[in-house]
Amino acid sequence: MTLAEYFSFLPYGKYAFYIWFSYLTTLIVIAILFIRTRSIHKNVIKQLRIKYLREK
Amino acid sequence: MWKWIQAFASPKNFYQISQKIIPWLLIPFIVLALVGLYWGLIVAPIDYQQGESYRIMFIHVPAAWMSMFIYLVLAISGGIGLIWKIKLAYVVARVSAPIGAAFTFLALVTGAVWGKPMWGAWWVWDARLTSELILLFLYLAYMSLNNAFDNPKTASKASSVLAIVGLVNLPIIHYSVKWWNTLHQGASVSINKVAIQDANMLIALLLMSMAFKFLYGTLMLMRVRDEVLVTEQNSSWVKKIVMEYK
Repeated sequence: MTLAEYFSFLPYGKYAFYIWFSYLTTLIVIAILFIRTRSIHKNVIKQLRIKYLREK
Repeated sequence: MWKWIQAFASPKNFYQISQKIIPWLLIPFIVLALVGLYWGLIVAPIDYQQGESYRIMFIHVPAAWMSMFIYLVLAISGGIGLIWKIKLAYVVARVSAPIGAAFTFLALVTGAVWGKPMWGAWWVWDARLTSELILLFLYLAYMSLNNAFDNPKTASKASSVLAIVGLVNLPIIHYSVKWWNTLHQGASVSINKVAIQDANMLIALLLMSMAFKFLYGTLMLMRVRDEVLVTEQNSSWVKKIVMEYK
C-alpha cells in the first residue's frame, strides 16, 4: 500500500496525501519562521539587557 | 519625498513606525490566509484535467512568486545600500534572505509533491525547476557570504554584489517555460493573460498571494526591528526600550 493510498480516507481522495502534505509543510515552515523571529527578538533583548547591566 | 525617506530610514523613526505597522500586517495575513484556505480547499471547484491535486497550486504558485519577489527586494535593497550607503537597506536585504529562502524551499517542495501525481516523478531537470533550485542556492550563497566576513560592511557589500549579479536568474525563471520546451506548465497569471478561467480558483490564488505578501512584510519588519536594536545599541533610545521591555 502506498502513502497516497493509505491517506485516501482524508478529503480529496487519492490526492489527499499530496495536498495535505503540501499544506502541512507550509504550516510548519511558517511556524518555524515565526518561532525563529520571536527567539531572535528575545535573544537580542536579553543580550542587550545583560550588556547594559554590566555597564552599570 | 527624499526627506520623508531619509526620516523613515533613520533607525529610531524606523523602529517606532515598524512597531506600529507590524500588527497591521500580521492581522491581514491571518485573515487573508484563512479566507484563502477556505476558498482554495472548499469553494474552488475540481479542475477538469488535474482533479483535486491542483489545490497545491494555492500554496505553490504564491510561494514561487514570493521567492522571486523577495529576491528582487533583496537585490534592490543591496543596490540602494551600495549606491546611497543607507545602512537600513543592507539590513532589509540581510533579513529578507532567510525568508526568501524559506519561500523558495516551499515552492520546490510543493512543486515536487504536485509533480509526483501529475508527472509521475518528484523531480525532473526541467528548466523552471532547475532555475528555481538555482534561486535557492543564490539565497544560501548570499547568507553564507554575509556571514563569511568579520567586517559587517565588507560582508554587506560583497553579498549585495552577489545579489545583484544573481538578478539575471529572475527572468530565466519567469521565461523558462517559454524559452524551453518544459514539462512545467505555463504561467498561471501574467500581465496580459490569465490562464485560470474559473473565478473562484483565481480568487483563492490571489488571496493566498496577498496573505504571503503580508507574511513577508510582518516577518521582515520584525527582523529589521531587531537588527536596528543591535546596530544602534549604544544609543540612549535603545537602552530605554531594552530596559523597559517586559
